[in-house]
Amino acid sequence: MKEINWSQFWSTFKKTYSIYLVLLALFIVCSFANPNFLSVNNLTNISTQLAVTTILAFGQTLLIISGMLDLSQGSVLALSGVFAVSAYKATGSFTVAIITGIMTGIVCNILNAVMVSTFKTPPFIATLAMLTMARGVALLFTKGQNILQLGDFTVLGQGSIGFVPIPVIFLIIFAVITWYILRHTKFGRSLFAVGGNEEAAVASGINVHKVKYTAFIINGIFVGMAGILFMSRVNAGLPNGAINYEFTALTAAIIGGTSFSGGIGSAGGTLAGAFIVGFLDNIMNLTNVDSYMQQIIRGAIIALAVIYDIRSKNRRTKSTLGRIEDKGSRRKGKGKGITESHK
Amino acid sequence: MKKTLLTMVSMLLVTGMLAGCGNSDKVNSANGGEKANSGDKVYKIAYIARAQSDSFAAWLANAVKEEAKKYPDIKLEVFDGQANDDKENSMIENAITNKFDLVIVQPNNGEAQRPYVEKVIKDGKFAITTNARITGIEGASSVDADPYEQAGVNARAALDQIPQNAKVVVLNGPSGNFHADKRRESWQKEFFDKRPDVQIVGEQIANWNKDEAMKYMEDWVQANDKIDAVISMNDNMAAGAVEAVKDNSKFDGMLAYGVDGTLEAFQLIKEGKMTSTCLQNAFELAEKLLDTSSKLLTGAEKQVDTDIGNPLITKDNVDEYIALLEKAEALK
Repeated sequence: MKEINWSQFWSTFKKTYSIYLVLLALFIVCSFANPNFLSVNNLTNISTQLAVTTILAFGQTLLIISGMLDLSQGSVLALSGVFAVSAYKATGSFTVAIITGIMTGIVCNILNAVMVSTFKTPPFIATLAMLTMARGVALLFTKGQNILQLGDFTVLGQGSIGFVPIPVIFLIIFAVITWYILRHTKFGRSLFAVGGNEEAAVASGINVHKVKYTAFIINGIFVGMAGILFMSRVNAGLPNGAINYEFTALTAAIIGGTSFSGGIGSAGGTLAGAFIVGFLDNIMNLTNVDSYMQQIIRGAIIALAVIYDIRSKNRRTKSTLGRIEDKGSRRKGKGKGITESHK
Repeated sequence: MKKTLLTMVSMLLVTGMLAGCGNSDKVNSANGGEKANSGDKVYKIAYIARAQSDSFAAWLANAVKEEAKKYPDIKLEVFDGQANDDKENSMIENAITNKFDLVIVQPNNGEAQRPYVEKVIKDGKFAITTNARITGIEGASSVDADPYEQAGVNARAALDQIPQNAKVVVLNGPSGNFHADKRRESWQKEFFDKRPDVQIVGEQIANWNKDEAMKYMEDWVQANDKIDAVISMNDNMAAGAVEAVKDNSKFDGMLAYGVDGTLEAFQLIKEGKMTSTCLQNAFELAEKLLDTSSKLLTGAEKQVDTDIGNPLITKDNVDEYIALLEKAEALK
């Protein structure tokens, strides 16, 4: 019988599940740090608060895996949200509001895709341009003023089905969609291929344009829906809302192990990353940690996550190189032996 | 591909130029269509807003534009500083180059704009600083609301309203912002120093935002069985905190204080969910700004420093102020 190599098992386990171990450890530490942390109310609260940024983070995950990113998420969210709110106020229909919000997200992201894929603009610059434009349109449309009195529209962001808040239900739906796309679809595999090595993806017959457009369109749907939930939750159409949310989303994705170099990432990792950030924010507020200190801690966590990402990638590259060299030398050895035996 | 790009760029340029023409039309119309006789002197005023994206700044800019229509000898143009010191400073420099007779600056950060306002004066033009004023520039005028007093009227009322040994939370504006700092200082001196029995159980910077304030409040509610009052440096954040507990009967009698006088705050005061706010009246600021401009340009005055009032809005007088804000909505 083959003996179990525990050290190898542990290293594989660590590589695959380390993010969940970190989340578990943090959960335990937080439970001891403040007795209120473990209350059902507080945990529901954290999940509701995280819904919007985590849905955005799923959008970022799809884009980062394929070697792109979206800096316009916060602005497009605000634009989708104020359009959806206005549509609801004008028609009183949830369907019209949701379609308006999602279509706004899609249109903005098609423009992002045009800039990135058709005109080959770096995603950083293209989406930065969209960040400014979308915010400008939201402000122009509302004349810089908040839209008030949303009436029943708040149900989406503040209501519950049973004891589960509606935003959390949306969070679960979007998590499953992202997981399914990445693990079980040809498009998901193409995302990894394009992000891993674009030229190789082209050579293997993948339609890179189509993959990039689709990734942005899916991101648009996510951002549009996040906008609707956000405005509904705060009970107002805020043209200035969700500033810097793209960075919170990027943080969740990166902490969750999505690699900025592309080709690596998962829905579960991003979800765990979002909850790590959420638990930290929550415990710092429960224990009344100073505002400035909170910023420092958040920054340090991102730095640690990125360092970990780079180190583990180097280790992986080294071990792959090691394996290749090892195989190479064995082949050489074999070759030598053959030659020698011929002698 | 290159042709497509070239066509797109040309189209953008043409659109930009057309938009520019549209703007100049707008400026004329804000002026009642250049009604002044060709022989009369028409004074050019540049109004440099802190950021058109800031809801109060946008209201003030609109109110200033409306007020300017009442002065046939004044032509006013509005520029957007985009909450960026560098951009706002360049706009002040441009106003000097373009020979505006008077420049009104709503600073993004008073100290950053100070040398540029001084340049306006040095160039022999008039300058007015507003919301917030930049103090101590010789020759420059100012029209403002006093942020210390705006918070002070609330804080003094709270002395009698907040119960003994109360637990309160504090929501602050961005650190380093003149109004945010002065309002917090006022609460400290006018309330907390006089009521050592009151305990602050949570204090955070929510950057004037409703969503951020809502999140902090949701967390504080978990950590504290009772919060007697929310002390917020603006109405947006107060509204966020109220939103977080609106369905929680444990917090039914909670007091909430803000500053600014937004329509949302007025509605909450009317419903009994907010206690009071202080109105920073953009119409009054606009009226005083144009009146001061006119006095300076016609030589009636050399320098003017004036403040608007700081009315405390409570359930008793909220209706008259709702009517005032409905007028502001109509301006949009």
